[in-house]
Amino acid sequence: MTDYKALEKQIQDQARQWLESGEVKYVIGFEKGDNSPVCRPVFIYKPEDAGKLAWGPLCNNNLTKYLVEEVQIKPKKGEEPDLRPVGIVVKPCDSKTIVELMKENIVPRERVKIIGVISEGTINPKALDKALKDVPLDKIAGIQILDGGDNFTIKYDGEPLSVPKDELLNGKCKVCVVHNPVVYDIFVGDKVTQIDKDEFEDIADLEAMSDEERYEYWKEQLSKCIRCYACRDTCPLCYCEECVFDRTKPYNWNEKTVDLPENFFYHMVRAMHLAGRCVDCGGCERVCPMDIPIRKLNRFLLKRAKERFKVVPGINVEDKAMFGDYDIDDPGEGIK
Amino acid sequence: MIEMDDKSDFEPKIIGFLCNWCSYAGADLAGVSRFQYPANVRVIRVMCSSRIDPQFVLKALTEGADGVLIAGCHPGDCHYIEGNYRTRRRIAALDKILEKYGLSDRVFLEWVSASEGKRFAEVVTDITNKLKELGPNPHKARWEI
Repeated sequence: MTDYKALEKQIQDQARQWLESGEVKYVIGFEKGDNSPVCRPVFIYKPEDAGKLAWGPLCNNNLTKYLVEEVQIKPKKGEEPDLRPVGIVVKPCDSKTIVELMKENIVPRERVKIIGVISEGTINPKALDKALKDVPLDKIAGIQILDGGDNFTIKYDGEPLSVPKDELLNGKCKVCVVHNPVVYDIFVGDKVTQIDKDEFEDIADLEAMSDEERYEYWKEQLSKCIRCYACRDTCPLCYCEECVFDRTKPYNWNEKTVDLPENFFYHMVRAMHLAGRCVDCGGCERVCPMDIPIRKLNRFLLKRAKERFKVVPGINVEDKAMFGDYDIDDPGEGIK
Repeated sequence: MIEMDDKSDFEPKIIGFLCNWCSYAGADLAGVSRFQYPANVRVIRVMCSSRIDPQFVLKALTEGADGVLIAGCHPGDCHYIEGNYRTRRRIAALDKILEKYGLSDRVFLEWVSASEGKRFAEVVTDITNKLKELGPNPHKARWEI
């Protein structure tokens, strides 16, 4: 059970202290939305604004994307770059992203100050909408969500609702085994005991399908894709200055046509570029306007990386990257 | 477009990425030794099998190739010492995502050395037969108007 109010208080105090002492340039965190209970990212520059910072199960974004943008910014001519660290509030899955970014020498450790918060699962806003269908519209922004062990208690003016966690949680949280931040300067909350469960139970049904069924399944899913590239844009590990899908010269790898083969190419190449790096933060699936289960694509690769090459991304900075390393005894005569 | 209802009439188009030092020389040897093998493979010579970005393979499948053959030196024999170890990892990962699309049977990674002309002929015969069994690449339909 997580006491969100207590965590929120600790986050605010820490951010205020850092901003007052000038240790950090600014703090990236979450604030309450205006007309929605869903939290949105906020940048806090002044210590008196630190009270805006919010914490709750609806803090879904992976804020490390802003961190990548911060370190990639080039100062204007004649300007001294401000190299002070940036404060950031992270969930365990986001902290894994930071580990991966440090491993790839994108974000130096000294450029970031991390407030690591424990998380026992975040709520999918779409599932919440369904659960709140009986709540009057004008009350929705003011609801309070409390963690009650196996269920969430949703408080508003009327009778409090009790919804089982399984109905509300994001898919990634249902199978997540890392509930404590991996890297942090300040640890917020009480350490959660490590859970032991089958990480890949959510893709078991897809793996059991025959080739034709799987092809039909993905054909249906990928035909929906409108190639808005939101999944790429939100991914903190897609930090290339020029993306292969934007480039048309010297060779146009991906036609701009939106049809199945091109969508297939896009999603496969995106998944390949994240092979052994993706930490399963679920950002791509969260932003997808067409509800394509994009995360599943990455999870197949996560599974292969773990089972065949013993590579688990986002745990240790010292670990080697999957494609940056090889082992003479790697299994696999042929590809099977 | 010619109707290809009968599977026996279907001639698969295979894109073969062959490494310059082993497999390409192996293919050359197969030719010089006059071993018969199906003419379905279109060879692209690359300097090392690790030059093959999984993107190349995916592009070939997107554009309607029925199969892709990647051939390099045997592990341990790479001209660049470690290239084919890296290929092995990449293709193992690629295979996993192709598998979930039901397309993994169309990508073949084989080790063929410069002295294995006979083996090259066997490999090509083998995968041509497999692809004939499998039928055309579903993405091919895009080009049939």
